[in-house]
Order: sequence, then structure tokens, then C-alpha cells
Amino acid sequence: MTVDAIHATNVRKVYQTRRWAGWRHRGADGGGRVDDGAVEALSGVSMTIRPGERVGLLGRNGAGKTTFLKIASTLLTPTSGEVLVFGHDVDRDADRVRPLIAVVPQEGKPFFHLTPREQVYTYLRARGFDRTTAKQRTDEALAQMGIEEVADRLSVTLSGGQRQRTMVATVIATEAPLLFLDEPTIGMDPFARRAVWECLRRLTRKGSTILLTTHYLDEAEALAERLYIVDRGRVLVEGTADALKHRVGGTLRVSVPGGDAVRALFAPFGNCVADAEAVHVITEPAQLNEIMDLALRHGLHATVGPVTLEEAFLRAVGRSIDDEAS
Amino acid sequence: MGAFARLPTFRGLGPFLITELRVQLHENMAVATSMTIQAVLLIFVTILAPQYLAVALVGAIIFSFFTLGQRVWNEAAYVRIDHRLNQLYGASPLAPEAYFLGMAGGILLAYLPPILVLVVVAEAILHFSAATAVTLALTSVAVWLFAVSFGYVVSTVFQDMRTIWPYASLFYNLFGILPPVFYPYGLLQPASAVPIALALPPSAATGLVQNALAPGLLSSGDVVLATGSLAAEAAAMFLFAVYWSRRSVRER
Repeated sequence: MTVDAIHATNVRKVYQTRRWAGWRHRGADGGGRVDDGAVEALSGVSMTIRPGERVGLLGRNGAGKTTFLKIASTLLTPTSGEVLVFGHDVDRDADRVRPLIAVVPQEGKPFFHLTPREQVYTYLRARGFDRTTAKQRTDEALAQMGIEEVADRLSVTLSGGQRQRTMVATVIATEAPLLFLDEPTIGMDPFARRAVWECLRRLTRKGSTILLTTHYLDEAEALAERLYIVDRGRVLVEGTADALKHRVGGTLRVSVPGGDAVRALFAPFGNCVADAEAVHVITEPAQLNEIMDLALRHGLHATVGPVTLEEAFLRAVGRSIDDEAS
Repeated sequence: MGAFARLPTFRGLGPFLITELRVQLHENMAVATSMTIQAVLLIFVTILAPQYLAVALVGAIIFSFFTLGQRVWNEAAYVRIDHRLNQLYGASPLAPEAYFLGMAGGILLAYLPPILVLVVVAEAILHFSAATAVTLALTSVAVWLFAVSFGYVVSTVFQDMRTIWPYASLFYNLFGILPPVFYPYGLLQPASAVPIALALPPSAATGLVQNALAPGLLSSGDVVLATGSLAAEAAAMFLFAVYWSRRSVRER
């Protein structure tokens, strides 16, 4: 029987607010609820990730993504619940888990006074790789991340995107069985992001498992085979990007500029998701003509496109916000 | 003491020490200027009270090892707060105690050359006896161990670099300059403060070295107090830092 890469059961994390909280750590995510000075960042998260999967964790700021990642990567103690990584309890058996994992921390930066080559190489050496393997893996990772040209410049002289690529190169070079990447492509240009995606796909083909968080929904859709949408410390929905999109209630999105009045007008045709500029009606092709007629009659400009993961996300999280309000 | 459920292994110590050494060597201006305070104080002593130069020279050596704790304090906090690299290394096979000791050792090696220059100058002027040289070496190691352990432990409780700078500077300069480190024990007033000074690591060390330079300066009771407190504080602080490095790798 194959052991799950991650098997999390009912994981809760409550940060206790301290009198000296200004000094000490509090929730990395900012927390979900505040009761009697306690902040509940995770409210019973369960998930299973099989070896070789690429899984994305989506959620708003403060949803609990980083908290879960930190717990699963042995960097944070859960209040209750259990996380097993390849069968080892991350809380009680962290020393067995750590050789199996590697982490790109959120907003992590390489040592400013090391070059990218030194950063990757010395990290591999600290993990126990011999010199030859470390050098070979370093060269490969730097090439895959497209930072060979700056590989011998001090990181302090690099751009934010180049530093982030150095961080990703540092971790992918390990080819660890389980990689945690917390917003790995933040600050990268589109070419660099695609290079990261390709690297991560290659790693999973070689057997690694990847759990990443991102706010780029195109990245989640392009990269993750399965997604968890979390909000306020709970898993709202889980599934493939296609499955999540189907849950929205249609395959087409009609976008009409306007606010609540427009939303009321189009509500009968399907689920409506509003953002700052427009109302997006999620509907089926059969209703398209009727919607366009209505828009024309009211002098509104309507555009049509396929439903995106963003709609699915807004729909899932929007409903969660509505539930909370009610 | 759950963090000691597994004995410390120091796995990865060598490579991480070299990592930190490389980082420090790239900051050569910091290394080059690390003797500024000591040099200024030595100049003052040479001009104002040249008869105390011998004491000030050994004090400068001890003080140099003591302030390496401030560098560990700043570096550990900076790497954790600004770079989040403690997470990169924490979630890896590198032993947490190797992370602490590797950082302290890398900083020591980088800053050792200017200290050795100071030692050579002191030797050229003072012509250390074997007993003085051994006392100086052992007390320097003890002071370094205490200072870097303390610096690492305290670095983990801060959230903001701006808060750290004044505290770190205050602590190391207060305990490295105010007690009789750069001046003889005979000048310390009131006399009742002598046992307190002998219980503090940097001044305990300089007390022992001053006693080796001028045997009989301290009573045998004072020597026992200085030796005991320095050894106990260094060992206890180091063991606590090893324990704390394991415990603090995971946030609570």
C-alpha cells in the first residue's frame, strides 16, 4: 500500500495572543477569528495528498494557507489534529520528516552576501549532499531557473524576481520527496513563472510531491492537479480546476459593467459574481442570446468568455463570506 | 525538555559553518571595522593612563570575543526576520543545533584574523607567560561560548530588527565595558562590586587574566568565584542554546 505524502486530519491551530505579542510571533496569516484573545488560524483542516501529486492551496490573505504549510513542514506546532508526512507524524517525529521535505518560505530571500551559486551549493551541502552531486545539482537548478548569467553575482545586487528564482532553485535542487512552496513565483516575470512551472512538473514526473500556495489563479490552474480552497481556517472545496469550475453553475461567463442594479437584472440567468468593475453572470450557452438581448436593451456592453478558476474561487469564497455574515 | 528527546547530533555543522563564513567574508568592511571600539579605548588608555595598557590589551581581546555574541544576535535575527532562511534550514536535515553553532562558528572564523592581530600586538608588548597565555585562551573560549549562546537565544524572541539593534548594543557594550574589562580590578569601586564583576563572564575572564599577569591580584576565593561562574555560565548557556535551537525551530 502506498503511503500518502501528506495525510492531515482535523488540524487546528489557535494562536494565543500574548501580552508581549509585539515581540513574539503571532499567526503568520493574521488569523481567522479572535475570541478571548485567541486567534484561530485553522479550524479542522483535513486533506490527503498522494505521492507525485501537485496540489495547490488557494485562499484569501489570512485564510490559513501558510499556517497549514508551516505545520506540515514541521515549522509550527498544531493545537490539535494530526499531520502525517510519508507516515511520520510531523509533531512527534519531525527529525524523520525533515530529510524528506524542502520549503520555499513565503517572502524568503537568499543570503544577500552569497551568490546564487553559493546559496544553492551550500544549502545542498548542509543537507548532506556530497560535493560532486551538489555542484551538478546546483548547475542544473540555476540553468532551469534561467539565472546562470547572474549566478556569480552577490544576491544583494539582484532584482526581487532573480532572488525569488534563487530561492526556488535552492529548493528544487534538493529533489526532496515533498516540496512546500509558499507563493513561489511572487515577483517573477511571466517567463520565469513558466520556467518554475516546468521545473515543478519535471520534479513530479521524477516522483516528488508538491504542495504550493499561490494567489495567481492561472498558475494554480496550469500547475496544480488538485486544488484546495481554504477560507477562515477551513477547507471550502477540493477538486481539480475543472471540477471546481463546474461547481460554479455554468460554463460561460458574461461580464457586464455595473453594480448591484445590474446584478439584480441578470440574477435570473445564473450565479452572479461581482467585483469592483463588473458583474459576472455564470450561465450556460442556451441562455446566452437572451442575456445579450437584455444587455443591449439596457444599453450595456457585455463580453463573453469561458468560466475561469477565478470565478470558481470568488464563488466559493464569496459564499463563505455570505455564510459568515448570516 | 522535550527538545532533548533526541540527543543533539550537530548534523550538517561543517557545511553550514562554511556557509556562514562565506556570508561573513563577503561583508569584509564589517570585519575590517570590528576593532573600532577596542582601538578607540586602547588609544584613550595609552594617552590617559599608559600604565594600564597591559590590562586594556587583554581586555580588548576578551571584549572582542564577547562582542561576537552581538554579531550572532544580529545575524540570527536578521536571517530569521528579514530572509526567513531559518525556515529553509529548519525544514531540512540540518540539525537545529548545527544551525546555531555553525552560524556562531562561521562568524568566529571570519572575525578571528583581526582578533589574532590584537593578540600578536599584545604578545609583542606584554610577552605572555605560558600561564597567562593558557588563561587567556581558555577564558576567551568560555566568554565566546557564553556570548554567542546568549545572543542566539535572545535573537529568537524579537520580531523587529529596529528593536534588536539598541538592546544588543546596550547589552554587549554595558557588560563588556562598564565592569573591569579595560581597566584593573583595583580601580573598581565600591569594593563590594568586585564579586558581582567576577560573576559576569567578560569581567570574570579579565579578572583571571589580570591575576595571571600579576599573580596575587585576586584572592583565592575570588579566583574560585571567577573560574566557577565563568565555566558554569558558559556551559549552562551553551547547553540551553542547544536545547533552545531545537525548541525554537518550530513556532508554538
